[in-house]
Amino acid sequence: MTDLLANLGLGFSVALSLQNLGLCFLGCLVGTLIGVLPGVGPIATIAMLLPITFGLDPVGALIMLAGIYYGAQYGGSTTAILVNIPGEATSVVTTLDGHQMARQGRAGIALGIAAMGSFFAGTVATLLIAALGAPLTGLAMVFGPAEYFALMVMGLVFAVVLARGSVLKAVAMILVGVLLASVGTDLETGQERMTFGLSFLSDGVDFSVLAMGLFGVAEILRNLDQTETRDVVRQQIGRLLPSRADLKQAAPSVLRGTAIGSILGILPGNGAVLGPFASYAIEKRIARDPSRFGRGAIEGVAGPESANNAGSQTSFIPLLTLGIPPNAVMALMVGAMTIHGIIPGPGVMTKNPNLFWGMIASMWIGNLMLLIINLPLVGLWVRLLKVPYRLMFPAILMFCSIGIYSINSLPTDVMLIAFFGLLGYGLIKLGFEPAPMLLGFVLGRLMEEYLRRSLTLSRGDPMVFFERPVTAVLLVISVVMLVAALTPALRKSRDEVFTEA
Amino acid sequence: MTLPTPARRSLLLGLAAATLAASLPASAQAPYPIRPITLVVPFAAGGSTDVVGRLVAQKMSDVLGQQVVVENVVGAGGNVGAARVAKAEPDGYSILMGTVATHALNPLMLKRKPYDPVTDFAPISLLAVIPNVLVVNPKLPANSVKELIALLKASPEKYNYASSGLGTPLHLSGELFKSMAGVSMQHIPYRGSGPALNDVVAGQVPIQFDNLPSASEFIKAGSLRGLAVTTKERAPSFPDIPTVAEAGLPGYETYTWNALFAPPRTPRPIIDALNAAAIKALADPTVIERMKAFSATVVSSTPEQLADHVKAEIVKWTPVVKEAGVQIE
Repeated sequence: MTDLLANLGLGFSVALSLQNLGLCFLGCLVGTLIGVLPGVGPIATIAMLLPITFGLDPVGALIMLAGIYYGAQYGGSTTAILVNIPGEATSVVTTLDGHQMARQGRAGIALGIAAMGSFFAGTVATLLIAALGAPLTGLAMVFGPAEYFALMVMGLVFAVVLARGSVLKAVAMILVGVLLASVGTDLETGQERMTFGLSFLSDGVDFSVLAMGLFGVAEILRNLDQTETRDVVRQQIGRLLPSRADLKQAAPSVLRGTAIGSILGILPGNGAVLGPFASYAIEKRIARDPSRFGRGAIEGVAGPESANNAGSQTSFIPLLTLGIPPNAVMALMVGAMTIHGIIPGPGVMTKNPNLFWGMIASMWIGNLMLLIINLPLVGLWVRLLKVPYRLMFPAILMFCSIGIYSINSLPTDVMLIAFFGLLGYGLIKLGFEPAPMLLGFVLGRLMEEYLRRSLTLSRGDPMVFFERPVTAVLLVISVVMLVAALTPALRKSRDEVFTEA
Repeated sequence: MTLPTPARRSLLLGLAAATLAASLPASAQAPYPIRPITLVVPFAAGGSTDVVGRLVAQKMSDVLGQQVVVENVVGAGGNVGAARVAKAEPDGYSILMGTVATHALNPLMLKRKPYDPVTDFAPISLLAVIPNVLVVNPKLPANSVKELIALLKASPEKYNYASSGLGTPLHLSGELFKSMAGVSMQHIPYRGSGPALNDVVAGQVPIQFDNLPSASEFIKAGSLRGLAVTTKERAPSFPDIPTVAEAGLPGYETYTWNALFAPPRTPRPIIDALNAAAIKALADPTVIERMKAFSATVVSSTPEQLADHVKAEIVKWTPVVKEAGVQIE
């Protein structure tokens, strides 16, 4: 305990220097801005800003880059709530209830609860990293390919719960998502699958391309169906910040979301993507009136947003303690550390305590700054909703196109968002939800990879999924959930849980 | 190995300075560069090629007086970025960070060849050589390459080895090891070194071929056992780890190299200016020190030496790729 306090003291003495405070603020601000712009993600931004950090000392540079990362997570939920475009996999579920709240004139409250939930989750996650960072890495070591496969299966079962309409349609969408995920060059054999000989498909479909097309472009097309009537949003911006009753309703969700997000974030095999919708699924399951979900339930924003932020913080654990990057942004952080002469690995904590504890302290400071930056901005963001469609839509399309181009510098990606936009529009018209498809897409790719790796390791013996305790438990939970959903006796109540209309 | 030794390298530096002096009148006629130069790195930001590229680009900017901007053009194992530079204007404003993958391995494995590594590029200079390393989980009962070979021979098909992906230099290092040692083990491809390291440290997969830079801290911390480096000589950062050749497989040698290439038909004065800038950047003490900390060795060359190097690498890898039977569409 005294060690912890001494370490945190060291961390804060590093993070509170004038220069590092400034860099932290700058990182958070830039991160929020690029997070709000649809399509411009943290990877492109950090890669572009890397050269600017060459002149800084490594601690300051990494504090700024980390600020961009969690600032972008934060800003991404703003776009998800206001214009229904998820910037990355983790904000898909925020669109479900967050955007509905915005349509009901409660955008300010949705943004406010997202900010507060995220701050709380960030605080808890920072403490968790500081106190248990090193022992928690043991958890990462328990998870092999078979365990990750089971985790992803459980995730897909959760995905069914996300559906607002018919369960059959949701399952169909999940499967289409899984199919789309298998487009591209096969990891193990080098064969191209479903590319139709088109070379731009050989690396598969990018998540951002799919998300921006299915949500962003499709949403714009759908809105163009009707003449502009947004009276609700127009007339009453309503309260800007959550009331006491809202907070009371959201608090338990924030707590649960924080716990789920923190645990999943520690897994280096990209477990953090599951956080937000595991949280959403649980909130919907235990809610007294599940039919409110998808219609602007505040718990549906508070829980997933907390899980998202907790996960994005705890995903620093595998990076800082093991040197293993759990996702593309963290891989970029590894590069940034290397360029600054620090080789990430298990030795960083002992060899560069300044860097390790300084970054941890700066994460909490960064979360506080995000709250300070974002709460006053809520009013401004909400006012953005009053911008007429004829100005807003071209602007969104332009930012989407620029953003998508900045990721891979491929013109074909821009054309693909148009394609997926039309597909998304068709799906909305036919009553299919795009969210389960996106989750099927994200999980499908991981699931296939882990499944085949486990089977190669076991030389094709499927018993590998039942012999290992963690795998077996996760798979049993998934089966129980599926059976519960399919048993005729429970059919009636299941319909109440899953169906909205 | 066609690479210059340190002694020859200093001679080369002198030669390069002479070339620079000779090219000065030409660059006085048509000033180059007058705008920022794009350095296409065909791999993701943060990886070892990107790190070398950015370190060199930063110093080259100082030397040339114009920004050398790194652009990551990712896809198809490096081919998308390489093909882009092969087809770019030969004006010296787009250059490529080529590697053993883009200029030797990929062209050998691909059924559809997007470019020719020899005729579609104008070589500028070698930049760095990065050793690969054979690491095992510390629980594996093998303390040396000889013991590992004995273990693999005692139970064929039992063991697996991890690499950063199908057809990568690390995968082929493993295949070369298998064929030279006459052993069998199952290849497990990952999406990059990070996830592979995680499973090897955790013991899911016992053996891995990795870049020395990404495995170095794990070896130092004792969470991986470094059995041998794959270069001809021991790595300066790990003098205690033997080479594969001296530990039991004489003649075994693989390494990852990085080099600068321009589009074909780029005018000679521009190539010379870039070559001189690269050599100057590589002579910078901070670059040398950062590269050394990263277990990479700075190696410069003339354009002609790089051209010969590419041809030699293609000759060397052709039988390995054939034997491994790796074909990518």
